[in-house]
Amino acid sequence: MTRNTRILMSIIYWAFVVYLFVPLVLMVLMGFKDSKFIGFPIKSWTLDWYIGVFRDTEVISVFVYSTTIAVASTAISLTVGTWISVLLAGRSFFGRTVIFGLTVLPAVIPGIISAISFRIFARLLGIETGMFAIIWAHAVHNVPFVALVVMARLATLPASHTEAAMDLGADRFVSFFRITLPYLKPALIGAGVFCMLLSFDDFVRSFFLGGYEPTLPVLIFSKLRSGMSPEINAIATVVLIMTAVLGIWAERSMRRMGKGT
Amino acid sequence: MPTTEDPIVHIDGISKSFGKTVALQRLDMKIRPGEFVTFLGPSGCGKSTTLRLLGGFAQPDSGRIVLGGEDVTRLPPNKRRVNMVFQDYALFPHMTVTRNITFGLELKRMTRDRIAARLDELLSFLELDAFRDRFPDQLSGGQRQRVALARALAPDPDLLLLDEPLGALDARLRAQVQLELKDIQRRTGKTFFFVTHDQDEALTMSDRIVVMNQGRVEQDGTPEDLYLRPKSRFVAEFIGETNLLSGPVRHADDGRVAIDWFGMQIEGRAFDSTPRPGDMVTAALRLEKVGFFDARPETGNAVQGRVVNRVFKGSRTAVDVRVGDAGAAILKAYVDREVPDDVWLGWDPANLAVLQD
Amino acid sequence: MSTSSRSETAADTSRRPASGRGDSPTFWGRLSNAGPYRAVTDYVFGSTRRQFVLLAAFPIFWILFAHLGPILQMIRVSFLDSYPPSVGHTPHFTLDNWRTFFTEVIFLRPFFRTLVFSVVLTFATLVLVYPVAYFLSRHVKRDNQMLLLLLLLIPFWVGEIVRTYAIMILLGNTGAVNLILKALGLIEQPIAFMYTNFSLSFGIVYLTSLYMLMPLYSALEKIPQSFSEAAADLGAGPWTRFRRVILPLSLEGISSGCTLVFLISTGLYATPILLGGPSTTLFSETIAGFFHVAGDEWPTGAAFSTIMLLTALVLSGTFMKLMGALQKGGRK
Ligand SMILES: Nc1ncnc2c1ncn2[C@@H]1O[C@H](COP(=O)(O)OP(=O)(O)O)[C@@H](O)[C@H]1O
Ligand SMILES: [Mg+2]
Repeated sequence: MTRNTRILMSIIYWAFVVYLFVPLVLMVLMGFKDSKFIGFPIKSWTLDWYIGVFRDTEVISVFVYSTTIAVASTAISLTVGTWISVLLAGRSFFGRTVIFGLTVLPAVIPGIISAISFRIFARLLGIETGMFAIIWAHAVHNVPFVALVVMARLATLPASHTEAAMDLGADRFVSFFRITLPYLKPALIGAGVFCMLLSFDDFVRSFFLGGYEPTLPVLIFSKLRSGMSPEINAIATVVLIMTAVLGIWAERSMRRMGKGT
Repeated sequence: MPTTEDPIVHIDGISKSFGKTVALQRLDMKIRPGEFVTFLGPSGCGKSTTLRLLGGFAQPDSGRIVLGGEDVTRLPPNKRRVNMVFQDYALFPHMTVTRNITFGLELKRMTRDRIAARLDELLSFLELDAFRDRFPDQLSGGQRQRVALARALAPDPDLLLLDEPLGALDARLRAQVQLELKDIQRRTGKTFFFVTHDQDEALTMSDRIVVMNQGRVEQDGTPEDLYLRPKSRFVAEFIGETNLLSGPVRHADDGRVAIDWFGMQIEGRAFDSTPRPGDMVTAALRLEKVGFFDARPETGNAVQGRVVNRVFKGSRTAVDVRVGDAGAAILKAYVDREVPDDVWLGWDPANLAVLQD
Repeated sequence: MSTSSRSETAADTSRRPASGRGDSPTFWGRLSNAGPYRAVTDYVFGSTRRQFVLLAAFPIFWILFAHLGPILQMIRVSFLDSYPPSVGHTPHFTLDNWRTFFTEVIFLRPFFRTLVFSVVLTFATLVLVYPVAYFLSRHVKRDNQMLLLLLLLIPFWVGEIVRTYAIMILLGNTGAVNLILKALGLIEQPIAFMYTNFSLSFGIVYLTSLYMLMPLYSALEKIPQSFSEAAADLGAGPWTRFRRVILPLSLEGISSGCTLVFLISTGLYATPILLGGPSTTLFSETIAGFFHVAGDEWPTGAAFSTIMLLTALVLSGTFMKLMGALQKGGRK
């Protein structure tokens, strides 16, 4: 490649970064605007919207609600996803390809259809809309991501490690908990944080399966429908910062742990 | 060698195939307690498969494995008093040296105090004290190998399996570790079943060598046996450098075989076969067993020839000598001094081993 | 493993308690030798069949029940005349819900609009993101690649709603774009970007671009640098090198990136509501409409969802097959 194309390419990259970040930065800035009216220019600044958010008990309780859902659904996804991975990574059996295909199915179904099908199925099972239904839907939707990440990691575990454990007297169960699971740790951290973010950010499933209590994205959505306000910017900014921090932390710790092994 | 003792391992006609690949064909062998037995053979001949069957990581298609009098053919690895040093050591990366070594002890329901005592014993025995809190990725290759050994020795197994454990070490370290390993075996008195494809390693370390080829035992004997008295062409060629001399048998009696080799009358010994006059046989002669003489030697075999090629190898020189009617054959030999072009070669008939095939 | 947890485990094992627990076995030792545990594990691990059943039963149940179940039930409901079942009425089999789709033109319009939108925007995203992925994977040093990638991942982690809102602020009548255009004197009156095809497209590309980047990046990153150098050695110019070497080898990434983006675009719901207008109604809004009103409409919604799902899967399946064939053909 010539020097010029190289420079051109790097300009494209940075333009892309700007494209991704500018809308978010503007949104953050708008949260500091000392006016109820969303729009530029911003003449004077204030922290009132943020103070308001942290004082708003509704926002706080919705936040707790969303977090609970994220944690619970992630715990389920991690357990089930890991279990499926261990099955699929082991001896081959009749129908393994089909099971693998169905494992990733929830990840490729378009969002609205996924939400609708969960809604209908929840009705069949007699599950009321609300927290439990959302946890269940998020858990199912996130299992494929866990399974894919954990399977990739499992594929790099030398067979000799679990064999050595059994050689030294461990049964398969002990060997799984003492050797395999610690080896999967970076993958589980990464997948876990990813699931939390997916659950925390999910709108369409939370919207269709939610009861009266909204999750954070659903709350923002309903506030937006009744008009834009810097208050929403403040809420969104808090969400943005949290997810970004969590994401970066997971990425870093995964990378650091994955390095040695 | 005590032969009255019961074998600690009895491999009784085991076969194993992977799809169409036959890895082992009716393998039989016995190992006595305290022996250092080496499985030697080219890559892919079924050495690892045998070890894995002994360790319990795979089941044979047919045959039995008896360990210390008990049929363990179908037992899982955790129920066998056998431990393995893996080719890649398989040290647990998230555990310290200490935790790696005590892994097997904990599972035996030993108390913490006894585990600690056994650990200290092993650490000092293998000179690992200084590394007890290190993780495997903070150790050198030789140290890792010792940790793997300590971990496998810790539960006090009846049989220790070692699958090419020196393969990952560089040549210099390897030579040192070979001696160390032999020494450890002597001091612990454990039965070692060692696998390698390196003939020097096998000759240096073993009490007994089993040479494998394509899933079968080619020959089973002491290092000296294998070296000087190979049974088959495969063993003769696989271990050390050798001359193979073929010709019809003139007469044979009581193991002494007279062969007509390109018109030269030479004598060899048959150890496991009884060739009859007229049979075509091949006999093996080690390069360093060939002596150089200025005149025809009085005893043993003697042939006259002319040096056609010399390759300097440091302490000695490898020479090719053209011998026989009209120089029809080449004999290779080592010599550690200057020799003229025209020479007499001679050797003890006991060193010319007539092969079975 | 982090350094702190390392030193903990190390200290834990090397400094053994002088008294107290010293005369007891460790947890794993006690567990492995406990009678009931032994009895259970000996039974289960005693046969490979039992072992497999124990391992496989739950995952297979979960997958059939939770992954496949909702889709099957949705398809079933699409053939019922009423759902959820009301008191005193047993649902009957009917094809009416499916017939509705093909007979009423008002539904066909959003359906095809969704498909066209998704296809066009997928292609647009590909064109936009390919140079970025190419630059990252082939012109940046290894260490920096991770950093620059991380930079792009940050907005990725921020959810659909927040990012859609950010676009609303950018494109609104009093938004940043209009402000700048005005300040530059290019316009007098603000341009109505919002609630149009433009704002919707802009938002969808904004949301999906990173799903395109990741597969493209990992495909491009796998191509050894030496390949294009070798091609250059043989006298291939930059364009030929790209077309004959890089592009064919990145087909796999293009294939999965496009499929992913296409499937996501067809399923977006909040974005078209917030960024689109009456003239840009997408099929997801149509489907959702059946679930907001009284229960009778569920079967129609289910039928429409099934139609959408089938179409999306068939289209992306065909696309992947084509790309696969292209890849194989190129390799010969
Ligand atoms: N798990 C396996 N699946 C298929 N073939 C195998 C497997 N293990 C070993 N083999 C085959 O069995 C033969 C013997 O292998 P192995 O015992 O590993 O040889 P060695 O250790 O002597 O090099 C080889 O041909 C090898 O390819
Ligand atoms: Mg091997």
